Amino acid sequence: MPDLAYLVFLVADGALAGSIYALVALAFVVVYKASRMINFAVGEWTMLGARTAAAASHTIGLGPGGAVAVGCAGVVALALLFNRIVLRPLSRSSLLSLIMLTLGVGIFMRGAATVVFAGVPARIASPFPLDPLVVAGVPLSVDKIVAAVIATACIAALSWFFRGSRTGLALRAVASDQQVALAVGIDLHRHFAITWALVGVLSVLAGTLWSFVSGGGFGIELLGFKVFPIVILGGLDSLAGTIVGAFAVGILESLVAGYVDPIVGGGFSHVASYLVLIATLFVRPFGLFGRPDVERV
Amino acid sequence: MQPSSAHLLEVEDLHVSYGRIRAVQGVSLAVPEAAVVALIGANGAGKSTLLRAISGIVRPRRGTVRFRGENLVGLPVHQIARRRVIHVPEGRGMLARMTVLENLRIGGFARRDGTDTATELERVFRLFPVLRERRDQPAGSLSGGEQQMLAIGRAMMAGPRLLMLDEPSLGLAPLVVREIFRIIPRLTAEGTAVLLVEQNARMALQCAAHAHVLQTGQVVLSGRAADLLAAPEVQRAYLGVTETS
Repeated sequence: MPDLAYLVFLVADGALAGSIYALVALAFVVVYKASRMINFAVGEWTMLGARTAAAASHTIGLGPGGAVAVGCAGVVALALLFNRIVLRPLSRSSLLSLIMLTLGVGIFMRGAATVVFAGVPARIASPFPLDPLVVAGVPLSVDKIVAAVIATACIAALSWFFRGSRTGLALRAVASDQQVALAVGIDLHRHFAITWALVGVLSVLAGTLWSFVSGGGFGIELLGFKVFPIVILGGLDSLAGTIVGAFAVGILESLVAGYVDPIVGGGFSHVASYLVLIATLFVRPFGLFGRPDVERV
Repeated sequence: MQPSSAHLLEVEDLHVSYGRIRAVQGVSLAVPEAAVVALIGANGAGKSTLLRAISGIVRPRRGTVRFRGENLVGLPVHQIARRRVIHVPEGRGMLARMTVLENLRIGGFARRDGTDTATELERVFRLFPVLRERRDQPAGSLSGGEQQMLAIGRAMMAGPRLLMLDEPSLGLAPLVVREIFRIIPRLTAEGTAVLLVEQNARMALQCAAHAHVLQTGQVVLSGRAADLLAAPEVQRAYLGVTETS
């Protein structure tokens, strides 16, 4: 492959992965914005989303669309239950203990998933052709393109939801100041529940799309680790920054995997995004799009 | 005391404590429909605490808060707001990063009667033209006076039956204060009752019908605002009038 085409291929491939990272990162950021909680289990939720959709596909024999729908119903129900039974009673405890709790929940979910889904294949058959599409000499896999289109559509829908809808406006008010949100008549618990329902939907979508492109459920929870460089780079409280950060990290990983990994012997692409994380913390600790908390009082 | 049905809000024997500190000790007062009632008193007299207890932010230790005959004590804050008891706190409670327009729209959240938001918005913009000019700016970038206007405008979006203003004049230039107080008669003309907490006692007494003087958590003086304005002990303590000997 000529040099330029190789570069284009790496960038395109990275952007395609980035669109799925964006969904996972958004699932993380909506929770952070609503309650300042760092959800370390975001990768496990994504894994759960993928496994539930896969189970719906294999045990009921649904097609991809049906599997995602059933998966969403199941995981949203679980997320709501988690919010109601675990988080709500703990709403007065310290943020730190909630964060620790998410670590424990993540480990529990991994263990439980291997028991619950024992014998059920994690793989979801990709409904898309396997032969890559060649655009101007650059080979692009069809399933990745379709995944990216779906992911981008979800991101656009979510952006509209937060900007234009009444509920989205209320969620942003909750994110901005809970006391004020209460004072204008917003029911916080109801909106925390909406947030967790969003986490459920995003987890299933991201998990299923990732299964399509990566070919299996193994190690999907590691997607959670991609989230931290993304949200630190983008600014923890910025949805736009999260999306930009996701694409940036996807492309960076792809470029490093293409150019640096052959030299150092592989694996460096996973480190690269963390180097960016550290560099961001040095230069702009509030991220590219986050704002330092300076305001007129 | 037999509560009179003409009163929109009736606070009876309210006690509020923060730990061992008794901030409000047995306050009773009433706000009639569409009237302005002022609460004056020094810093730490318990004025803000009283408002916070009415809007449900702090839970009183004892006593009742009756609004249109219903006891509000124990209701969550958002439920009280949905009864259109709207509290504009000291410090104004801006959603600093959201735009002026978004702040106003969120103010209509308490309202569930399907009133047209556009009409309400137009009403607020007519009262505070500066908000229309700045509608797409983040609320945090407004000046103090503009923020106070936005806070009142946001409260108006809820169509309040009772509006509680906590120190609306705090830190503002006299000209701006006058502009904000100019709004209060218009609100009452539209049927909103106002419970006004102010350190600027003169301004408050001039626009209120009734007033209560709070001192260390207790009402020490009540009456028609005009009478309090003329009372020597109020003049001495709160209006800065020195006695001529």
